[in-house]
Amino acid sequence: MKRESSECEESLTRNDLIGGLFFLAAGLLFALYARSLEVGTWDEPGPGFLPFWAGSLLIGMSALLIAKTLLRRHREDAGPFFPELDSWKRVLMTIGALVAYNLLLQPLGFVLVTFFFVGFLVKCIFPQGWLKSFVTAALSTAFARLVFVNLLEIQFPKGLLGL
Amino acid sequence: MDIANYLIQGAQVALQPMNLLFCFMGVLMGTLVGVLPGLGPTAAIALLLPVSFHIPPVSTIIMLAGIYYGAMYGGSTTSILVNIPGEAASVITCLDGHQMAKKGRAGPALGIAAFGSFIAGTFGVIGIMFIAPPMAKFALAFGPPEYFSLMLMGIVIIIYMSSGSILKDLITAVFGVLLGTIGMDTISGTQRLTFGVLELADGIGFIPAVMGLFGISEILVNVERILATTLVTEKVKNLLPNLQDWKESFWPIIRGTVMGFIIGVLPGPAPVISTYASYATEKKLSKTPEKFGTGHIAGVAGPEAANNAASSGAMIPLFTLGIPANSVIAVLLGAFMIHGLQPGPTFIAKYPDVFWATIVSMYLGNIMLLVLNLPLIPLWVKVLKVPYPILFPLILIFCLIGVYSLNFSQVEIGLMIGFGVLGYLMRKARFEMAPLILALVLGPMMENNLRLALLVSQGDASVFVTRPISAIFIIVSTLLIASSMVPGIQKRRAQMKEKLGDEEV
Repeated sequence: MKRESSECEESLTRNDLIGGLFFLAAGLLFALYARSLEVGTWDEPGPGFLPFWAGSLLIGMSALLIAKTLLRRHREDAGPFFPELDSWKRVLMTIGALVAYNLLLQPLGFVLVTFFFVGFLVKCIFPQGWLKSFVTAALSTAFARLVFVNLLEIQFPKGLLGL
Repeated sequence: MDIANYLIQGAQVALQPMNLLFCFMGVLMGTLVGVLPGLGPTAAIALLLPVSFHIPPVSTIIMLAGIYYGAMYGGSTTSILVNIPGEAASVITCLDGHQMAKKGRAGPALGIAAFGSFIAGTFGVIGIMFIAPPMAKFALAFGPPEYFSLMLMGIVIIIYMSSGSILKDLITAVFGVLLGTIGMDTISGTQRLTFGVLELADGIGFIPAVMGLFGISEILVNVERILATTLVTEKVKNLLPNLQDWKESFWPIIRGTVMGFIIGVLPGPAPVISTYASYATEKKLSKTPEKFGTGHIAGVAGPEAANNAASSGAMIPLFTLGIPANSVIAVLLGAFMIHGLQPGPTFIAKYPDVFWATIVSMYLGNIMLLVLNLPLIPLWVKVLKVPYPILFPLILIFCLIGVYSLNFSQVEIGLMIGFGVLGYLMRKARFEMAPLILALVLGPMMENNLRLALLVSQGDASVFVTRPISAIFIIVSTLLIASSMVPGIQKRRAQMKEKLGDEEV
C-alpha cells in the first residue's frame, strides 16, 4: 500500500514538472506576443493588456509550481504513465484515426471516410471480428448519412465517389 | 401582466406540437447520455448545437434544456444497475442504489430516483419562475466592475470546488483566460495570435474546445484498457416504491430539493456538490446512520432530488446574469448566443416568450421524464449492454460530425483533436478541466468588462472594491482562496476531491 502511494506521488511529481514547463512556455508565448501589440496603461488598457498581465501571472504561477515540485522531498522512480503495456498503441491509433479522418474528409468524402474510420476503430482498438466490424461500420455510416445528410441537410464533402 | 398571464403565454408556445416534439427529443436524448457512462450532458448539448441551426431558437432552448435535466434522470439508472455513475452527479447514488439492486430492489431504487427527481425538478422550475425575474431587476444595477468581479468569483468557486491543488487550478484558469484572448479584440479590432487563420478571428471556437476536452479526451482515457462492466440484473420489477419506502424517502426528497436548489443558484458544479451535501445531511439526521451504504432508500431519494433541483437552480444565473455557473450551462450559453440571444438582466423582459416557454416546457419535460422513464428502463438496460469497443467509435463520429457541421471548418476539427490530446494529458497530470473551460467562456467577457471598468474609472483599479456589490464578490473570492490554505479545510477539500474523482463537473 505504502509502495503504491509513493509511486503515485512520483508520477504526479514528474507530471507536475512537465505541466509546469508547458504552462510556463504558454505564459511566455502570450506575454511576449502581447508586447508586440499595444499593452496600454491602467487608465487606457489596450488589446495587449490582458494577454500581457495574465501571461505574466501564468509565468509566475508555473515557476512556483516547478519550484514546489523540485523542492518536494521524495522523488524516486516514476509510476507508469499507461495502465497497461499496450495502452499507448490504442491511444496513439485513436488519435491517428482522428487526424486521418480530418485529412481524408475532402478527398474521400463523408461516406467513405466515416465507413473506414468506424471499421478501423472497431477492428483494431479492441479487436473484433471482420464481420462485426464491417456491419458496425456499414450500419453507422448509413445511419449518419440518412440523419445528417438526408434529414438535417448538412453539406459534407462528397469526395471521389460523389456520395 | 402577472405570472399567470406570462405562463399562459409561455404555454401557448411550449404546447405547439413542434415544441412538444423537441422537448420530448431533448429529454429522451438527455436520459440516453445520462445512462451512457463517458458521454455527459456537456458533450451531448455541444453535439446537438449544429442540429439546432435548422430549428427556431425557442425550440432549440427547449430541447437543450431538456437534455440537461434529462441527463440527471438517466445518470441514476447506470449508477443503480451497473455501479458506474452515468455522470458525475450520480456518483453518490451508486452507494445505496447499487446495494439496493444487489438485494433485488433495483425497481424501487429506480422508482424513487425518478419520483424524487420529478418532485425536485417541478419545485425547481417553480423556483426559477419566482426568483429569476426579480433577480434580473436587481442585476440591472450591475456595471462593468460588478460583472468582472462576479465572473471572477464564479471561476474562483469552481477552482475551490474542483480539486486538490489550488495552484494547478489557478494555472489552468489563467491559461483558459489567455486562450480566450485569441482572435479579434472587440474593442480595438486588433488580430491577436490568429496567424492569419480566418477561423481564429472569432476566437477559439468554444464547441471544439468542449468536445475535445470532455468528449475526445474521455475516450482516449477509456481506450487505454477494456472496461469490464457487469449488469446486476436483467429484469427490473416492481418499480413503484411501497408505503414504507415513501415514508423513508419523503423528508430526504424535500430537504434534498431545497438544498439542491439553493446550491444550484450559486456558481460552481452545483448538481454534483448538492448530492454530497444531501447525502451527508441525511446520514447526520438519520436515526440509523449505519444503514447508509447498505442499500438505504433515503440515500438514493435525497441526492437524486438534490441534483435535479440544482440543475434547475443553475439556470437562474444564466437567465438573469448571462453567466454560466458550470460547464453544461456554459455550452447552453453558447447555444443562446449562436441564435443571437444574449442572456443577461434584460433577457426576460426582452424575450418573454423564450423564457416563459422554456419554463413551461420544463414542467412538461419533467412529466414526460416520469411517464417515460419507468417504462423505458428495459430499453436503457439494452443500451448499457452495447459493448464499449462498438460504442466509442460511434461517439467519436458524433463528435466529428458535430464540430464539422457547426462551421464546415476542418480547422475546427483539428482544434477539437488538439484539445482532445491536451485534455487527455491534463487528465493524466491531474490538471482540472472545469476551470479551463469556464475561463475560456468567461475570459472575453471578463476582458471587456475589465477594460471598460478601467476606462470609466480612469485607471483607478480601486473601483472593484469601492463599489459595494463588486466588493462583496471580491471579498468572497479572496476568502475562498485564503481559506483553502488553512490546513483543516485543505484536508476536507482533499477528501471531497477523492470522492469526486475525475468526473466531469
